[in-house]
Amino acid sequence: MGIWILLPIILPIVTGMYLLISSFLKHLKSTESELKTADGSLKPVVLLTLIVSVAAAFYASWTGDKSITLFYLMKDIPICFKVDAVAALFVTVVSIVWLLVGFYAFPYMSHEGEEKRYFGFYLVVYGVLMGLNFSGNLVTLYLFYELMTVTSMPMVLHNGSREAIMAALKYLFYSMCGAYMALFGIFVLNKYCDTLAFVAGGSLNTVLAQGNETIILIAVMAMLIGFGVKAGMLPLHAWLPAAHPVAPAPASAVLSSIIVKGGVLAIVRVVYYVVGADVIRGTWVQYAWLILSLLTVFMGSMLAYREPVFKKRLAYSTVSQVSYILFGLAVLTPAGITGALLHVVFHAFIKCTLFLTAGIFIFQCGKSRVDELEGIGKCMPKTLWCYTFAALALIGIPPASGFISKWYLAQGAFDSQIGILGWGGIVVLLLSALLTAGYLLPITMKGFFTEKKTEELEFEKGEPPMAMLMPLMILAFLAMILGVLPSGMIDYAAQIAATIL
Amino acid sequence: MMNLTNLLANYGEAAAMILFGIGFTNLLLQNNLIKKIIGLNIMDTAVYLFLALKGYIAGRQAPIVVDGVQSVEAYINPIPSGLVLTGIVVSVSVSALMLSLTIRLYRRYHTLNFDEITTMIKKEEK
Amino acid sequence: MAFVQNLPFICILLSLFTGPLSSILSGKMTKKLNLVMITAVGIMSAMVLAFTVKSGEAYTYMMGHFPAPWGNEIRVGVLEALLATVFSVIMLLCIVGGSKEREEELESTKQNLYYIMANLLFCSLLALIYTNDIFTAYVFVEINTISACGLIMIRQNGRTIEASMRYMIMSLLGSGLLLLGICFLYDLTGHLLMSNIKEQVQILAATGEYQIPLLVCITLMTVGLAIKSALYPFHTWLPDAYGYSTMSSSAILSSLVSKGYIILLIKIYYRVIGIDVIRASKITNVLFVFGLVGMVMGSVNAIKENNIRRMIAYSSVAQIGYIYMGLGLGSEIGVIASVFHILSHAASKALLFVAASGITRASGKNKDFASLTGAGFRNRLAGIAFTIGSLSMVGFPTFAGFISKFWFAQAAFENANHTKTMLALIVLIISTVLNALYFMKTVIRIYTPAPALAKEKNYQNITVRGQAPKSFAMICFVAMNFMLGMCSDPIMKLIQSGLEMFG
Repeated sequence: MGIWILLPIILPIVTGMYLLISSFLKHLKSTESELKTADGSLKPVVLLTLIVSVAAAFYASWTGDKSITLFYLMKDIPICFKVDAVAALFVTVVSIVWLLVGFYAFPYMSHEGEEKRYFGFYLVVYGVLMGLNFSGNLVTLYLFYELMTVTSMPMVLHNGSREAIMAALKYLFYSMCGAYMALFGIFVLNKYCDTLAFVAGGSLNTVLAQGNETIILIAVMAMLIGFGVKAGMLPLHAWLPAAHPVAPAPASAVLSSIIVKGGVLAIVRVVYYVVGADVIRGTWVQYAWLILSLLTVFMGSMLAYREPVFKKRLAYSTVSQVSYILFGLAVLTPAGITGALLHVVFHAFIKCTLFLTAGIFIFQCGKSRVDELEGIGKCMPKTLWCYTFAALALIGIPPASGFISKWYLAQGAFDSQIGILGWGGIVVLLLSALLTAGYLLPITMKGFFTEKKTEELEFEKGEPPMAMLMPLMILAFLAMILGVLPSGMIDYAAQIAATIL
Repeated sequence: MMNLTNLLANYGEAAAMILFGIGFTNLLLQNNLIKKIIGLNIMDTAVYLFLALKGYIAGRQAPIVVDGVQSVEAYINPIPSGLVLTGIVVSVSVSALMLSLTIRLYRRYHTLNFDEITTMIKKEEK
Repeated sequence: MAFVQNLPFICILLSLFTGPLSSILSGKMTKKLNLVMITAVGIMSAMVLAFTVKSGEAYTYMMGHFPAPWGNEIRVGVLEALLATVFSVIMLLCIVGGSKEREEELESTKQNLYYIMANLLFCSLLALIYTNDIFTAYVFVEINTISACGLIMIRQNGRTIEASMRYMIMSLLGSGLLLLGICFLYDLTGHLLMSNIKEQVQILAATGEYQIPLLVCITLMTVGLAIKSALYPFHTWLPDAYGYSTMSSSAILSSLVSKGYIILLIKIYYRVIGIDVIRASKITNVLFVFGLVGMVMGSVNAIKENNIRRMIAYSSVAQIGYIYMGLGLGSEIGVIASVFHILSHAASKALLFVAASGITRASGKNKDFASLTGAGFRNRLAGIAFTIGSLSMVGFPTFAGFISKFWFAQAAFENANHTKTMLALIVLIISTVLNALYFMKTVIRIYTPAPALAKEKNYQNITVRGQAPKSFAMICFVAMNFMLGMCSDPIMKLIQSGLEMFG
């Protein structure tokens, strides 16, 4: 029943394209005033598509292993989709976040304008992400990876200002550079692996690889750096802090929580499902990867600590947190992989919450800098409480979810045989947790506890509308509850780790 | 030593190669358009010289039937002459084309210096 | 002897005679005649392709009643027929796509001349593909040069005349070297028919006589043809020639003319000298190095350009570098990849030129990037076509460019020399990144909305129906690109079997 895999890919893309084309045509035909009136049919269409696609995606991922081959691009290289444990995990996270942020985006985008274009691209990117997650081999993954870059760029570019264009260009060029470095790796791996399809544990042909280790290692490194661009790993992370402040808040939310995970998924697939972890264990590639991810963790937190613009601060936080995940993958131990996969889920929910609050602050009060948020807790207590729960989870305070994933990451570093880097990793993790507290908690503190009187505060409005508050609360709830009742998730992640190592 | 005697024995071909070199360099490096075309012609003529020499076999006649067809051994190789004829046709056509282009350029820019023409065109654009 | 076997000769004759015939007819009739002729040739070549695939071997066709080795011959195999078919389709679409530009840019008295030149060009291209005689090849190379020059300079402004002069100079340098090489070869072997020459060369290679003259010969022919097909650093004429002539000329020149010389080079390597002798002579290393340099420098120069047509022209320089790199890798897969890239580049580059002319039309005929902002919204089909062409050049999967790059990478691996493999792969990726830089930059620019600019300069919107011939050409090119990208396996098999019977 492979058709259930295709449905969540094709339906959003088709609907999204329809929305884009109709918005384009409307632009050509109508006058200025006609453009201002909103289209009533937009909301039901988008929500219906999202709900149907999400349902289909859940059905496809959780009811048995399915696969479907669309066609053969070249001999031995098909475009095919397959459901496995990792795919199911990513699909679930993506779908939940996408649906919730979709609800949130309606009131927000009515402020920004051009909703049809935004939602058109929103749906298309969802379909492409489903394709990415369900990919069955490296070439399909690469195709959807490139598509993801191309289709998510217009969301960054949404408000059309010069800054947005420059940021989108940066995003595009960095991503494309990364994709082509990865392409180099694909060519090499095609030669030395039995197949480019994803096989748990990798499929490197040891006979062929004999004597050619250098080029294989260079290829894996190129793929790590190439896909790491999307995941915000040093040295090609600079697009992240540029793209987030200029994109509309819902777009930044999904960019930080989901699209960067596309890079993580690609790295997981390459290291664990195509090459095999043993190939890089103990080599310079592993050490370089560990060092780069640790440096990114530290540097991201440091830069976030000093950043005055709220969304940019959260962007640097993403840079730092995603490298936690990459560190967990780099230690190549079961505990590390478990921690990394858990953090993928938790970080997605947490970061989404954080960005949605940033969006609410901008939407309701027009405040985008941290120092302007003093006393905001008096006007919007519910919002700030959600933010606080998410922040606690990110810092890693038990029983919030972040604690679980960081525990496993530390465990993984401890277990692995990388010696001093393992200890260094744990130190960096701790330091970074402190810095995270340093850059997230002041907002809570200043928001709730301020010496100014209520009359002196400059915030006109109160809590945001329900459509924006509900998703926020659901996500914050998920961030907390998964920390309290984590065993299901831990088992699932540990199972995945066992099959691939 | 053997190389030098071979070279002297084939002095015609050697001269042809030197002429080819002269023509090629002129076509490439000269600034004046007419001199370039002259270079082209020298280059082509050098090839014809080479071909003609290659066709010649000492002691035999040109391949024209006089007093009935004689045996094959009485004539020189007729094919290179045919090749030379074809080459001449080609050379004439391209020379004519290049000369007409030169006239066009001269009428427009009043100079035969190719570098100057290029500079003038760049200025024209601005 | 089936009737189908006569068809290649009939194609050449047909296109040859349509040339002079066009000179006595009026403008409109000439255009129709031209289109009919190219379509007819395309259909006939497809029939020949079907025939050769079915029979599985190449055949030689004697011209007149003079047998080898004194007479002239053409030789027809799968590869020749495939190339002829694809080239006819591309030529047809280029001419159809540029018809409006020609009506506007050329003087009415010169409309005829354009079709004469195009017909002669087409005839020489077919003859280069099919011929089995090396001197005939030279003659048709010259005809190709002259008619290509005619196509460039038919639009009379200072730039095109200077460009055509530069083109003629470089081309004639190449022809001179080629002619000298051919004369040397005749001197060494005594034959003009390719198959006969090869027998003699094999004997010479076996005995080791005349080693240096043979090497000189190979070098002369290679360098001559490399100069003519604009290998770096002999590419200086290319940007001016492609950038300023009328659109269909640029498309035809970039897709077909330079490729004709490369096909002749491959033919010389396989059928005249023999690929083993070529590999032993190491000239492939020289081609490899120049190909690599061309790949990088072409893209670097393209990034600096501000004129869209010149940018696409520099991109051609880079792509020709790819083809020479493939030839220089020396393995059989390398040559197959190069031939596939000839086909895929022809499809993509012509598409880019047609789409670029659509975009510039929607921007008041200005070619600089500032005016092109937002053109993707003014001329939607051209914008989409340009995006698809760029994505193909850059190597997006499902388009033809990805397949070419993939096979070039595989060919690099076949090489025993590790340095060559690494160099090829690294430069392949660097050039892809550079390609992405300038193509994606342009795509973003044409899709950045600029309604104020359009209103101020009064740029017209262009609909699909408003540019019907161009739309038709663009859609067909896009379809071709997709086909090459998705169903590349049968075509690769055809090329492989064609190359086996090529030698």
